[in-house]
Amino acid sequence: MRVAIVGTGLMGGVHAEAWSHTGARIAAFVGTAGAGGDALAGTYAARFVTDLDAVLADVDVVDICTPTHLHAEFTLRAAAAAKHVICEKPIALTVGEGRRMIAACRTAGVRLLVAHVLRFFPEYRLAREMTARGDIGAPAVLRLSRCTFRPRKTDNWYVDPERSGGMMLDLMVHDIDYARWVAGDVVRVFAKAAQTSGRPDEADHALAILTHRGGAISHLEGSWAYPPPIFQTRFEIAGSAGLIEFPGPAPAAIEMHLRGGEGSNHEVQLPRSPLHESPYATQLRAFHEALTSGTDPPVSAEDGLAAVRIARAAIESARRGQPVELDASGEKPP
Amino acid sequence: MIRLGIMSFAHLHAEAYVENVRAIPDAELVGAADDDKTRGAHFARALGVRLWPTYEDLLAQQLHGVIVCSENARHRALVEMASRAGVHVLCEKPLATTLTDAHAMLEACKQGGVSLMVALPMRFSAPLLEVRRVLEARRLGEIFCCVSTNQGQNPRRHRDWFVDKRLAGGGAVMDHTVHLVDTLRWYLRSEVAEVYAQTTDLLSGGNGDVETGGLILLTFANGVFATIDCSWSRPASYPAWGGLTVELIGQHGVMRVDAFRQNLTIYPERSPGIHWEYWGSDANQGMIAEFVSAIRERRAPTVTGVDGCRALEVIVAAYESARTGRPVRLRME
Repeated sequence: MRVAIVGTGLMGGVHAEAWSHTGARIAAFVGTAGAGGDALAGTYAARFVTDLDAVLADVDVVDICTPTHLHAEFTLRAAAAAKHVICEKPIALTVGEGRRMIAACRTAGVRLLVAHVLRFFPEYRLAREMTARGDIGAPAVLRLSRCTFRPRKTDNWYVDPERSGGMMLDLMVHDIDYARWVAGDVVRVFAKAAQTSGRPDEADHALAILTHRGGAISHLEGSWAYPPPIFQTRFEIAGSAGLIEFPGPAPAAIEMHLRGGEGSNHEVQLPRSPLHESPYATQLRAFHEALTSGTDPPVSAEDGLAAVRIARAAIESARRGQPVELDASGEKPP
Repeated sequence: MIRLGIMSFAHLHAEAYVENVRAIPDAELVGAADDDKTRGAHFARALGVRLWPTYEDLLAQQLHGVIVCSENARHRALVEMASRAGVHVLCEKPLATTLTDAHAMLEACKQGGVSLMVALPMRFSAPLLEVRRVLEARRLGEIFCCVSTNQGQNPRRHRDWFVDKRLAGGGAVMDHTVHLVDTLRWYLRSEVAEVYAQTTDLLSGGNGDVETGGLILLTFANGVFATIDCSWSRPASYPAWGGLTVELIGQHGVMRVDAFRQNLTIYPERSPGIHWEYWGSDANQGMIAEFVSAIRERRAPTVTGVDGCRALEVIVAAYESARTGRPVRLRME
C-alpha cells in the first residue's frame, strides 16, 4: 500500500511517523513549497510535490493532514481518482461539505476514514470499553475537558474560523465525538463561549452541555485560553453503578497558572503520555488494517459528520444564546 | 454566654454543628428538640445533647439563637416559630423548597426583629477565601467564565428524606446547587441573569421521585457564564463524600480551587477501602463562629436569608429550564 500525505505541518509529520509502524509505504508528501515538506520527504525517502495530481497515479491512499477548510477539496479529488481517503478531524468545515465528501467516496467505492484519534488514546478507549460492557451501569453524567493554549503558528490557521471553524470545531470536537461514542446520539446542545484574547469572533474558551437521546448529559470544556505550555485533559463518566475518573494532573487545593512566563516554544501542543505505541500509530495501524482487509474501523465517516454537526450546533447556540435541537437522525430540523 | 439550640436532627450537618458550637468558648448548646421522637432521642444520646420534648420547650429556654436542621420543606415552620420567639436563626441550606416559603421566612424574621442566616459554609472555606483574595487583588484580571462542581454521594445513605420530593423539594439540583451559586455570586459580585439546566435520573438511588444528576449553565448580569455540576455522581466506594471545585478563566490566567483536596489517602489492608481523611480547616466552624459573633455584636451576619433566597431563585429556574429545555431569565430586582 502506497500513501500520499497531503499537508506537511504538525499533523503531516505526526502521521508520517505513525505510518512507519505499518506495512504501508509513504510514496509522497504534498505541500506548499518552502514549508519544510522536502525535508520531511527526505526523512521518509518519499517524493515531495506541490500538486496532488502529480502523485495520484502512484498511490492507493490519500492521507489528508491539511488545515480543515481544505479537507473537502482534497477528498473530492482523491475520490475522483478512486483513492481511499484518510482525513484528519474534523471531517470538514461544514456539515454540507462533510456530506458531499461521504457521498463522493461512496460513489467512487473508496473508504473515507476520519482520524478522531481520541478513540485510540488508551485511557479514553479503556473507559469506553468498560462503559460499553456495563462495568459502571448506564452512563449518566459525563465531564470532558481539554484545555491548552492558543495556537501560535506563523500562518495561524487554527485561530481563523474560516479555515479551522474555531476552537469548538477544532479542539472540542474530540470530546464531542467521544461523548457520542460513550453515551449515544445527541438531541440538544447549549453552549457559551468566551474570548480571552485574540481578534473578535475567536472564542477561545467554551462550555457546552449535551443532552443525549438515552437521557445522559455531558459537560464539555474546550479551551485555548490556558497559558503555555499547558495541555490538560480530564474526564469522568458517572454511571448508574459506578464512576470512571481520569483526573488529569495531581489535584491540589489551589492551582494557578498566570500568563507572562511563556514557558515553551511550542506552536501547538499535543497531549502526551509515555506509551510503547503512540495513539497516532495505533490509529493508523487500525486504518491500514481496515483498508487492507476490509474491516470496519472504530470510527466511521458518519461519526465524523455527526461530530461536526454537534460542534456546529454548539457554535450556533453560543452565538444565539439559545439551545439547538438536533432531530432523531442527528440532523437539524429544517 | 450565647445560648443556642438545635431544631431537628433531620439534616446530617446537625451532628457537625454540635461540635462546632462546643468549640466556641462563649457559646453554650442549651439543647435540641425534634418532631421525630426516635431520631431526637437517638442523636441526643449519641451526641450528649439535652433533648427538650417540644420545639416550644426548647424556645422557652431564653435562647439567643437556633440552628434549624429540619427537612428542607419544614424549614419555614421552624424558622417562623423561632422568629416569633425572638430567637435569631441559622437555617440549613437550601433556605426553603419554594420561593413563597423563602419570602415568608424573610418577612417573619424581619417582623420578629431577628436575623436570618443561611448555612453557606463555603464562604468560610480557607481555600475559597484564598481565591477570593486573589480575585479581589485582580491578579487574574477580568474573569470570563467559571466551571464548578459540587458532586457527591447520594445523601440517602445518611437520611432517606433527601430523595423524598415532598420533604426535600427535589434531588441533586435542590441539594447541591446553592453552595456554588452563592460562591459564584460572592466571587463575581454579580447576580444570576439566566439559567439553563439539564437533569438526569440515570444515576441510581433517586427512588423514581427525584433527579440524581444535573448540569447547570448560568449567565450573570455582568456577562460572565459559569457551569455547575450538582450530580450525586460519587458512588458509595468514592474515597470521600464528594467535593467542590471552581475553575476560573481570566484575562491574566486560570485558577482552580478544590475545596476539600487537603486530605491524606488511606489504603487499608481491608475494607472500607481507599478513603481520604481531611486535614484542612473546618469551614463549618467559621460559619458557626460568625453566627455567634453576629448575635454577640448585635449585627446582621455576613451571609443572610437574602443570599439563600437568591440561590433558591436559581434552583427554581433550573427546574423550569430542565422541564422546558429552554434557558430561563431571572427577574432582576
